[in-house]
Amino acid sequence: MEKLLLLAMNGLIWGLIIALIALGLAIIFGLLDIINLAHGDFFMVGTVLAWATLQSTGNFWLAFIVAPLIGFILGALIQRMVIQPIHNAAALSIVATFGLSLILQESVRITFGPTPRRILPPIQGTVPLFGIDYEIYRLFAAAVAIVAIGGFFVFLHRTQLGTWMRAVRHDRDTAIAMGIPAKRVYVLTFGIGFALACVGGVVAAPITTVDFRGGVDILPFCFMAVIIGGLGNLPGTAAAAILLAFLEGVIQSAASPTVARISSLVLMSAVLLLRPQGLFKGFAR
Amino acid sequence: MSEPVLRTENLTKRFGGLTAVDNLSLGIPGGRVHAIIGPNGAGKTTFFNLISGLLKSDGGRVFFHGRDITGLKPHQISRLGIKRTLQIKSVFPQLSVAENLWITSQAGQRFLNPFRSASADRAATAKVDRTLEQIGLTGLAKRAAGTLSYGDVALLEIGMALISEPQLLLLDEPTCGMSPAETERAVTKIRELARTIDIIIIEHDMEVVFGIASDITVMAQGAILASGTPKEIADDERVREAYLGRPEDEDYVEEAVHA
Amino acid sequence: MSAATLIERALLIAFAAFMLSVPWSVPALINSFWVSVIAEILIWSLFAASVNLLFGYVGLLSFGQALYFGFGMYGVAIGINDLGLSFWPAFGLGIVASMAMALVTGVFAVRLTWHYFAIITVVFSLIFYFLALTNKWLTGGDDGISFTLPPTFSFGGTKYGLTDPTFQYFFILGVVALCFWLMHRLIGSPLGKAFLAIRDNDTRASLIGLNVYVLRLIAFVLAGFLAGVAGALFAFFGRYASASYMFYHVSGEAVVWAIVGGAGTLFGPLVGTSIFIVVREVVSSHWEHHSLIVGIVAILVVIFAPRGIVGLWRQWMAQLAERGDAAAIKSKLRTEP
Repeated sequence: MEKLLLLAMNGLIWGLIIALIALGLAIIFGLLDIINLAHGDFFMVGTVLAWATLQSTGNFWLAFIVAPLIGFILGALIQRMVIQPIHNAAALSIVATFGLSLILQESVRITFGPTPRRILPPIQGTVPLFGIDYEIYRLFAAAVAIVAIGGFFVFLHRTQLGTWMRAVRHDRDTAIAMGIPAKRVYVLTFGIGFALACVGGVVAAPITTVDFRGGVDILPFCFMAVIIGGLGNLPGTAAAAILLAFLEGVIQSAASPTVARISSLVLMSAVLLLRPQGLFKGFAR
Repeated sequence: MSEPVLRTENLTKRFGGLTAVDNLSLGIPGGRVHAIIGPNGAGKTTFFNLISGLLKSDGGRVFFHGRDITGLKPHQISRLGIKRTLQIKSVFPQLSVAENLWITSQAGQRFLNPFRSASADRAATAKVDRTLEQIGLTGLAKRAAGTLSYGDVALLEIGMALISEPQLLLLDEPTCGMSPAETERAVTKIRELARTIDIIIIEHDMEVVFGIASDITVMAQGAILASGTPKEIADDERVREAYLGRPEDEDYVEEAVHA
Repeated sequence: MSAATLIERALLIAFAAFMLSVPWSVPALINSFWVSVIAEILIWSLFAASVNLLFGYVGLLSFGQALYFGFGMYGVAIGINDLGLSFWPAFGLGIVASMAMALVTGVFAVRLTWHYFAIITVVFSLIFYFLALTNKWLTGGDDGISFTLPPTFSFGGTKYGLTDPTFQYFFILGVVALCFWLMHRLIGSPLGKAFLAIRDNDTRASLIGLNVYVLRLIAFVLAGFLAGVAGALFAFFGRYASASYMFYHVSGEAVVWAIVGGAGTLFGPLVGTSIFIVVREVVSSHWEHHSLIVGIVAILVVIFAPRGIVGLWRQWMAQLAERGDAAAIKSKLRTEP
């Protein structure tokens, strides 16, 4: 029972972090129509930046500023220099993101080496919760994720850029006709997507390993959240991420993590085939 | 009274809140060229999309030579003999002109042979050559269809319509974007086709319409506004008001009717 | 016959001559290790060809061909190891298994539009990758299973098998060449033309009477066949099968090879695969980060040369031919009074 509770809580919190990362993927997929195979590696870069910031400044909290900033710049540059020049953007951009994934993984491996590193949680200790001793940092991580997700939705609905993004998502041609600079929106969207993944990376770094292969596992998970939540349905994506991670946590208490992963993938296939608009249609804008 | 070639019963299509085709019941007799005209948004192309199977109707039925074809898939409807062209000229851009025609003529076959070479079929190749001559594109046979001029693409489309041996041909604004000379060529071809094939044509060019159509149906807002011979339509008050508002069109109408 | 066709014919003959001489010329020129590298290139180029068939000729981008490669590979390995099959039945099992898998997954996948098609091919391959990982008793997981190679042909007392490097090379060359020849025939056939039509304009294709769903499914199964043959050959070549070859990275690399070589061309997969594997072999002895090069080249090609090497070659040849025609017409005009 304790194991179930622990894994369920872990799953829930992990789901919040994934929701943050998946939202980044959702805006890239939703606005730019790009299947970003490098998105898991964007997360990985975030964990690496967290570790690097800690190493060089001794201050983990600084990473919350450094990582998203670098991520945003990198993302914007990538969109402008790599994605935009592609002519048959549709199919070939997947290949470009695959190449990007290889480049990111190898660059990290070259600079930081292949050995996984660990970061100690900046907040140590446990607190009694529902009868088990639960790590405080994880609760903190959940809080950060919630704030970040909330902040993202506020940004989306209250700022000009956010409104532009929603307009372009809804109807690109009308948005352009109304004077919205679509190309700039694309550049910024990719940057924000990268930045969101980086924030997720920083938050997750103390509870996972910092390793050049850290993104490989995250990628399918993010895609599952986007598909099951429904393309273009951002709240749905977040909800799906939380739900999936929670379910995987629960299944893990009874079977192996691999079995949990397989069941999520099967669920995703079912959604793709039967309800491609996702399960959470009600929230779609 | 013989069975009309195409008959629809209460055909309806809705897109969200908009009713594009509204309870349309229409019978088109054979042996004539039937034109469908109407302002933009009247539902004409949606009507074609419903008949050719690209869209699923929200209600009503479609009958082809008395046979219910409602809900059939596009390739099934095509194999029954209904062929159409698209409003935005659409061919196979990376295939050559000759290959475009070739694949159109072979597409209806049950079994596409993966073992023989495509060019080995003498009969099919001869047919392609004949059609190329008919549409006057023999010189461009080897050119990729994507590199053709707009007018030539339109001719290719007509050629593809010819070679597919249709029983009913739906032409969606075939002369759209053509120069006057190209339009004349197209009209001549359509007249030739009309001798052996039933044709329904959507057009905006009034000169073309009144020049080749033997019956006209006017659509507006998804429903039939009026239907009849060119003269009846030209004289119809409601039609003049709703659609033939322009003085130039009136001249065409006068000329064509009294030609 | 135009100059362009003559050049291509000459190149083809030279290439064929070289390929036939490899077991002797390569050890003389470089060293005998490279004979097996070339054999490996042939196997992987067949795998890249399965990606190319779907993407270049039918317009479907599959990122999950490693699944069918894996079934071909494990069909052979499990057939020999657990079922005690001899060479040809094991080969057959691998091929049948991969085609059957392609049929079952294709029935669902081919219904989807290309975005979701690409995603679901990855998802399917991930599901089976994880299944292969967890069922170590059957598949050996990532570590894999090895087996001893049964002989390929036995005539009376003599046995011919892949343990002889020269025989192995010619066997692989023969199978791969046969598959490429079959592809060549397919593309020139009515079925092949139908594929091209679907690739160019699938709405128009359905309007002229082509059953787009069924044709896509057929293409998917044929691609599964090619990937399965490649997987089976790989198992024979290495006497080994491992789940790690079913991971989506493997599929992704094949996509890069096919596109760099030239999507929609017959020899594109061969050219692309050769380049990357040669680079890998040459680079990895000095520097272990050759994946970086793969990534960079992938991006550069996609931006600057999306038609790939063979695609550019074709374009260049066509332009030469056009200029030749124009020159011929010009000279004709000049000689006429």
